[in-house]
Amino acid sequence: MEEARDYQVNLEVFQGPLDLLLFLIRKKKIDIHDIPVATITREYLAYLTQKEKINLEREGEFLLIAALLIYIKSQMLLPRESELEDEEDPRKILVDRLLDFQKIKAASTLLSEKEDQQTKLWKRSAPPSLPTTEDTELVEVSLFELAEAFLSLMKRKEQENIRLIHGKEFSLEEKMKELIDRLKEHGYLDFLEYFNSQESFEEALISFFCLLELIKAHIVIAVQDNLFHSIKVWPKQGARP
Amino acid sequence: MRTRLKDVIESLVFVSLEPLNLEKIKNICTEFSNTEIEQAIQELLESYASNDRGIQIIQVAGGFLFSTKSEYDQWIRRLLSLEQKSKLSHAALETLAAVAYHQPVTLAEISALRGVDASHSLKSLLQKNLVKITGRKKSSGRPLIYRTTDKFLTYFGLNNIKDLPSEEEILKILDKEKILD
Repeated sequence: MEEARDYQVNLEVFQGPLDLLLFLIRKKKIDIHDIPVATITREYLAYLTQKEKINLEREGEFLLIAALLIYIKSQMLLPRESELEDEEDPRKILVDRLLDFQKIKAASTLLSEKEDQQTKLWKRSAPPSLPTTEDTELVEVSLFELAEAFLSLMKRKEQENIRLIHGKEFSLEEKMKELIDRLKEHGYLDFLEYFNSQESFEEALISFFCLLELIKAHIVIAVQDNLFHSIKVWPKQGARP
Repeated sequence: MRTRLKDVIESLVFVSLEPLNLEKIKNICTEFSNTEIEQAIQELLESYASNDRGIQIIQVAGGFLFSTKSEYDQWIRRLLSLEQKSKLSHAALETLAAVAYHQPVTLAEISALRGVDASHSLKSLLQKNLVKITGRKKSSGRPLIYRTTDKFLTYFGLNNIKDLPSEEEILKILDKEKILD
């Protein structure tokens, strides 16, 4: 057990249980295709028990792999009627995962090297100011960003006082027409402003659906001057000045 | 005439914030033929490759972009009073590698590959616009599927997703690690 003390390493330094397993395998100079499951399981569990308490949220994944190791060992101990064929080696599930993980780990090292090289290259991050328009740095937003903006808006709307429910019904068609008319009149519309002007939660929801439909149909385009800034909606052909 | 076209393209690349691709250049320089444009680009690239300036033209995400040369990094950081440019965390890089090499991929698949829950790092990668949601998988639960973005290519200086480090390069790293052990 002296050896284990030499390697007093915190679980925190490992990027998950597969990382720890790889470390143990390398330390023992074991062929990844021929893992002595009992030895590795013992070492692996020794690492887990170094911690007084297991934080299930953070270390639950370590337990999962421990269970897998024990399962594999049990499978190997069970007597079989016929001899195991190579493909039936119960260790295969783990070996395949380790091999995949090993590749990803190596790939992330390579990406990290590329990142190092790239951070030394400076690119322009702001355009020269254009006199014609106030919105120069527009990026097309993804659905994800649009949905996020909508959620933050809905949260704001939720906090407002509860009002009487109007029996008014909204139709998608009407709303869509209203949206397009507004775009025609103003050239563009501010996403947050527009939804804030909606009377009820329901109306805002329908407007949002309309907007998504219009984007899908390539009639309008949603752009954002910067992350977390307001999103602007333009008719497609005039989207970029 | 051709030399002027070269200058036109140079100025277009200069103004572009995102990599300027051939398609866009062609759409703008309508009075020139495709071969003229391609030739002018070649000349432009050659003139930058052979000159000794602080800036260069790089080819990333399928387009052309101006950037400074890496050896002048420390002076630029002095100008901007920046100690270090912020970099991606280890977990983020691993998640990104999982997405890049296995795309289109779901959160569950990424988590299985890494052996840990990847939802947190995936969310921050989405916010950084390095990965994007491209739809839902037609399987039970209809999970979202993720891909890398053009910004991912630009960030790592890749011209094309095929420029990712190859299987051989990865295996070479693994061999090296084995020898070190």
